Amino acid sequence: MGNCLKRSTTDDISLLRGSDSIREASSDPVGLPSYQEALSVQVPPPLYHPSPSVTRSVTQLTEEEQIKIAKRIGLIQHLPTGKYDGCKKIRECVICMGEFMVGDALRYLPCMHTYHMTCIDDWLMRSLTCPSCMEPVDAALLTSYETN
Amino acid sequence: MTERSPSKRRLHRELLSLIKEPPPGVSLDAEQIEQNLFLWTIHLEGAERTLYEGESFQLQFKFSDNYPFDSPEVIFTGEHIPIHPHVYSNGHICLSILTDDWSPALSVQSVCLSIVSMLSSCKEKQRPPDNAFYVKTCNKNPKKTKWWYHDDSV
Ligand SMILES: [Zn+2]
Ligand SMILES: [Zn+2]
Repeated sequence: MGNCLKRSTTDDISLLRGSDSIREASSDPVGLPSYQEALSVQVPPPLYHPSPSVTRSVTQLTEEEQIKIAKRIGLIQHLPTGKYDGCKKIRECVICMGEFMVGDALRYLPCMHTYHMTCIDDWLMRSLTCPSCMEPVDAALLTSYETN
Repeated sequence: MTERSPSKRRLHRELLSLIKEPPPGVSLDAEQIEQNLFLWTIHLEGAERTLYEGESFQLQFKFSDNYPFDSPEVIFTGEHIPIHPHVYSNGHICLSILTDDWSPALSVQSVCLSIVSMLSSCKEKQRPPDNAFYVKTCNKNPKKTKWWYHDDSV
């Protein structure tokens, strides 16, 4: 596997969620795909971002980074989601700058900022902060775990 | 049209909104940008009642396929590079939102406004103290520089 195999990150995210994925082999949406699996289906390994400006394929990650990313995926999946119901209070996703359409899948951050799920998940895989207010997402989540 | 990537779609939306409501002192050649959405040239006018009043500059924005998750590469280009403590003579700009503090909620417009305000708050026109060394040794891509951010109040 060379380093030149690039894939769009949007695809990687849907792959990680296990939904809307062409690949049915990945039954566990949380886990990282194993090396063998990635090789056997002949798709380039997905790219991850252990920190915002670093891009590596799964085979190049250190064990520490793999754990960090697995935890991050777990955290992201605990953030509430919903469908846009036409509410006038929120209209636009600042990441894609598109207007929300009724039925769009949304994700709500603890700071109450709302984005398209696909848009924000792509960012959260790089940085666990809200793009609008820079509030760290994980701190708020961890405290809410403890109180529950 | 349906084949547009998310980065192209977003760049196109930004272009439309900049054409519709350009911030003061900012202008662009929309036709040229339409030819290549990933490379923009923006014209900046130094704001009135600042050290740069009457001067005009060119900014170049380079975007990757991962925009807006990756920050754009932004430099001053052309004949006239502003003389400013955070602007190197090769056009590189030391501004944290272009690297460490980038967020996908930022845009071409907000980057331009930050640069205008960085110029406007300048009290004395001078190059960064390490200009000669930096320009000789830096990577062509300013994003590859490990910036050590100067005092943001300047
Ligand atoms: Zn969006
Ligand atoms: Zn927020």
